[in-house]
Order: sequence, then structure tokens, then C-alpha cells
Amino acid sequence: MKYSLTMILCAVSGSAIARQPIMDMAPRWNDGYGVQTRVTHTNSQTTTWLEGVYTFKPSVRMTLKVPSVAGEIGDSIFAVPLKKYTNYKDFTSNWSVTPSVRIPTGKGDDWDGGLSFSYSSETKSIYQLYDLYALGDDIGLDINVGRVFPSGKGSSWFALWDVSAFDSNSGQRILTGPVAVYFKRNLVLRAEYKLPAYDDDSAWSGDFVGFNIGVVY
Amino acid sequence: MIAIALLYALTPAPSWAENYVVNVHGIVCELCSYGVAKKVRKLSFIDKQQFDEGVKVDIENQMVYVAVREDAQVDKELLFKAIRSGGYDPVKIWSLSESGEQQELQP
Repeated sequence: MKYSLTMILCAVSGSAIARQPIMDMAPRWNDGYGVQTRVTHTNSQTTTWLEGVYTFKPSVRMTLKVPSVAGEIGDSIFAVPLKKYTNYKDFTSNWSVTPSVRIPTGKGDDWDGGLSFSYSSETKSIYQLYDLYALGDDIGLDINVGRVFPSGKGSSWFALWDVSAFDSNSGQRILTGPVAVYFKRNLVLRAEYKLPAYDDDSAWSGDFVGFNIGVVY
Repeated sequence: MIAIALLYALTPAPSWAENYVVNVHGIVCELCSYGVAKKVRKLSFIDKQQFDEGVKVDIENQMVYVAVREDAQVDKELLFKAIRSGGYDPVKIWSLSESGEQQELQP
């Protein structure tokens, strides 16, 4: 199953942005896997991402993100998040180093390498994620911080605030806005909206809207 | 009378479904705990008729409750190994008596 899932994801494989880690919190268990669909709307363009993750063990994952714009496949991103988890009494955190590669599955021919450093932690009421990354000529910083509202019955709401700073050949921008995340057992839903707080990027205009639905096993 | 006493002595002591509770460090997330429940449910001694298919995770207090089949015995090492493969660190385990009393299991 796990290998066929990987094969399917590879077979399905824009230069749209896809830096947010796939379901940072899960799957963090041996032989865990998950898929999610992410729809983002930016610059009057809607991108649909098919994303997959496989966790060999908590410290080693692999992820693949395949974008599609108007039915055309864009450049995919393959990454290998390497994580160091620490569990305290009522607190868990992890540091990650993630090498990645942008694969020219779209119209381009160039391969790009990338690297990110991230930290995330969670208590039963607070979640935070900091991700500093570089991919090709792009450099960025993602920050998600907010409150967690567990139901105690297998579901939780997250109310987060996102700040995304981005620097590329076309300029710089900072987007910020709210994020809502809902978990129910192994189902994940995420909705986000970001406005430009600073925009000196000739390739960017307007705001950002994103929706995710994913499942982990 | 002697025959009855002999039969009683040779019959295994009456057993009942035993439950256990494990303190697990870091288990504060409903979604992340899915892996722990998934791994624990695979253990042969789990009674899937109780709790949520044999497992209940209490993220408020970082506890994992497990139900053990009447005809089986808990294997602490396997249980802890399953929780670790779920991504978290088990610390202590207690047995729960029918009256609700807890008794810590020693290594």
C-alpha cells in the first residue's frame, strides 16, 4: 500500500509556492502516510496541489508536492524532512532539516535544490511553527502561531496566525492572515487567508486564499 | 468434596477484562495520537470491544487507556514499543482494578 501510494503520487506529477510543510504534526509514527489536496488562489490563478507524505520513522519522512494549474502539471517538489522530536510531560517539539528538490515536471527544464530549517512545538493549547527555507533563488520564512481547542473526543480546532515573508528575483513581500485548522481522528481541514502587509514584488498582486483537505493513516 | 476442591485447584483463577493506563509524555494532539492508537490496536492482547477499539487517548492528562482481553495478559514491553513507534514516550503504566484503583506495574 505504502509503495503503491508513492508510485501513484510520482505518476501524477508552475512554479507556485508550496513551502508550508505537509501536515507538520502528522504522521509522526512509523510507516505512517497521508495525502492531501490543497487549492490556492493567488495572482488571479488557482493552483491545485496533490501532496503526499510517507513517514519511515518519526525522524525520517519524504514528501512530494505536485501542482496543477488549469489542468497542466507544474514543477513538483520532493523533500526529505529529517526531524528530531523531544517529548516532555505535556509538551512536544521538533527541529527539522529538510533538503528538497524542485523537479521540472512542468514546462521548465531546470532542477532546483532547496533546504529548510524549521522548529515546531505544541502543547494542548498552543501550537507554533517557524520555517526558514531556500528553494532555487527563493528565500522565505513561514510562521504559524496560535491556540488549540481540543474537544477531548478526538477532534480539535486550531486558530492560528500566519506570517509569510518571501524574497525572490522579482522582489520581496510579506503576507499575513488567519488560519483555521480542524482535525477529526485522521482527517485534516485547513483554510487560510493572507493579505500583503508589504509588497515590493513585481510578480505578485493581491491576496492569498488556500484550502486543504487531507487524511493520514 | 475432595474432588470438587481438586477441580477448583486445577482450574485457572477466574479472570476479568483488565484495563491499563499509560502515562505518555508529549501526547497533546488529537491528530498526532492517531498513530499511537493505531499501533496499540495491532497488539494481540488488546480487547477491541472496549473503549475506541481497545484504546482511549486522554490528551488532557497525557494518558493512554488500553483494554486487555480476558484470555490474554498485557505485555508491557510490547505495549511501550508500540507507543514509541507511534511517536511518543511511555513513562509509567498502571493496572486498573474493577473498583477503579490504580496500581503501578513495576518493570
